[in-house]
Amino acid sequence: MLARMKNHARDLFWPILISFLILVVWEVAVRWLKIRSILLPAPSEIAETMVRQWSLIASHLWPSLYLTVCGFALSVIGGVLVAILITYSSILRKGFYPVIVVSQVIPKIAIAPLFIVWFGTGTVSSLLLAVLIAFFPMTINATMGFQSIDDDIHRMARVFMASRWQVFWKIRMPNALPYIFGGMKISITLAIIGVIVSEFVASQEGIGYLIKLAGGLLDTPLMMGAITALSLSGLALYGLIALAEQRAVYWQEPSDTSGG
Amino acid sequence: MNEQSSDSQSTAPLLRVTEVRKLYQKTEAIRNVSVDVRDGEFVSLLGPSGCGKSTLLMMIAGLVDPTEGSIAINGTPVAGPRKEIGVVFQQPVLLPWRTILDNVLFPIELLKLPRAKYEQRAMELLSMAKIADFAHHLPRQLSGGMRQRASICRALVRDPSILLMDEPFSALDAITRDEIGVELLRIWQATRKTVIFVTHSIREAAFLSDRVLVMGRRPATIAAEFKIDLPRPRTIPMMEEEDFNHYSRELRTAIEASHVS
Repeated sequence: MLARMKNHARDLFWPILISFLILVVWEVAVRWLKIRSILLPAPSEIAETMVRQWSLIASHLWPSLYLTVCGFALSVIGGVLVAILITYSSILRKGFYPVIVVSQVIPKIAIAPLFIVWFGTGTVSSLLLAVLIAFFPMTINATMGFQSIDDDIHRMARVFMASRWQVFWKIRMPNALPYIFGGMKISITLAIIGVIVSEFVASQEGIGYLIKLAGGLLDTPLMMGAITALSLSGLALYGLIALAEQRAVYWQEPSDTSGG
Repeated sequence: MNEQSSDSQSTAPLLRVTEVRKLYQKTEAIRNVSVDVRDGEFVSLLGPSGCGKSTLLMMIAGLVDPTEGSIAINGTPVAGPRKEIGVVFQQPVLLPWRTILDNVLFPIELLKLPRAKYEQRAMELLSMAKIADFAHHLPRQLSGGMRQRASICRALVRDPSILLMDEPFSALDAITRDEIGVELLRIWQATRKTVIFVTHSIREAAFLSDRVLVMGRRPATIAAEFKIDLPRPRTIPMMEEEDFNHYSRELRTAIEASHVS
């Protein structure tokens, strides 16, 4: 356990150092070259703005995060359920699954204005757009997870007389777990994009709205502050999923235990 | 049922395969195979890869239906997988998310039998296979040989009367293979199961078996049958002795003869 934490610390060292260096170069460049804050504010100014305007940023951040998490949750639950249907229904597998795979090619963000027409400029549109783009990768990943089981394992299950129900809960489900977490990591990022884009298009609140508003006011530090807050939240959500994955998919840890 | 069969062991065989034939579409995989196996016997099916010996094994396991002929265990025809059969596959086929002990208890769990009652038996099997220390490890923490031992324990946990083994050691290196063969014989002698062992290794067949059935190429038939009268318990040094070499030569000659025809 301790060795693993040490490994994590070692893995994180270089990315953190590089990020820090970029921030330093950015700060120094802005000051030396006297770049106007409206074009590119220094990191220190962004941080200062974030502190000063935190209540404004937060009041727009929470609704967006709330919608993101809701959209994500709906996508995960829906995606897993549809994946189960696809796994057990040959009609759905042959008819529906190829459609889902091909629909991946459609840039679903482009549908955002249509959603505004259909569902208005409120939370419903944001939520649905988040679900629309987060749902498909989730479904595809979960389907792969339920289906990618060795013939050997199927034979073993038959020899030891597993029922269909047992094959699902004791074999397919745990087998799908790593795939489901992989899908969740993609879906959470996509859910954020869906919410932000719909807020760009038409909304009176949310972090996407704030970014657009600050842009209109040429308040670049506020805009960058909002973007930073959003990015950090996205990172935190991703991190939570990765942490849950490590707990849940305990059998697929990196090979550091066998190497030691 | 079991008591009856042990009384009449000289007359009724535990397993009776009668004139079995298997067609895949129009290709004949197995032609007219008949085998009787006594209770407690160790029988090997020896033949080249892809000769249909694994198909025969899967038919005995109830996973594949014969096109013609019949297979019966204790007089009742095989119509699907059944409790008195345990199978060891070429690969260990352990579930990676389960500990070794939980993998061994998997068949018990599937039959909804009380785990507490069988946990002790599982541990006994694991210590017989010399991997009790790894009961709470995950499969990926074990070597290939140890994993295959665990899969033998899994096959034995619900106390089957027949153990079917489908080239179980072919994925292991030669040294591990010899060792695990000795272990298998020890476990076999302690549990007195009937073993049907599919292999393409002449040495393995001669070393392990009471009786070796040589199978020819497709369509598979039983080309020859040998009784191996080497003393038990068998040990690795016996593989250097003249008696053993004599059987190996005979088996090799029989295999070559079956290829010519």
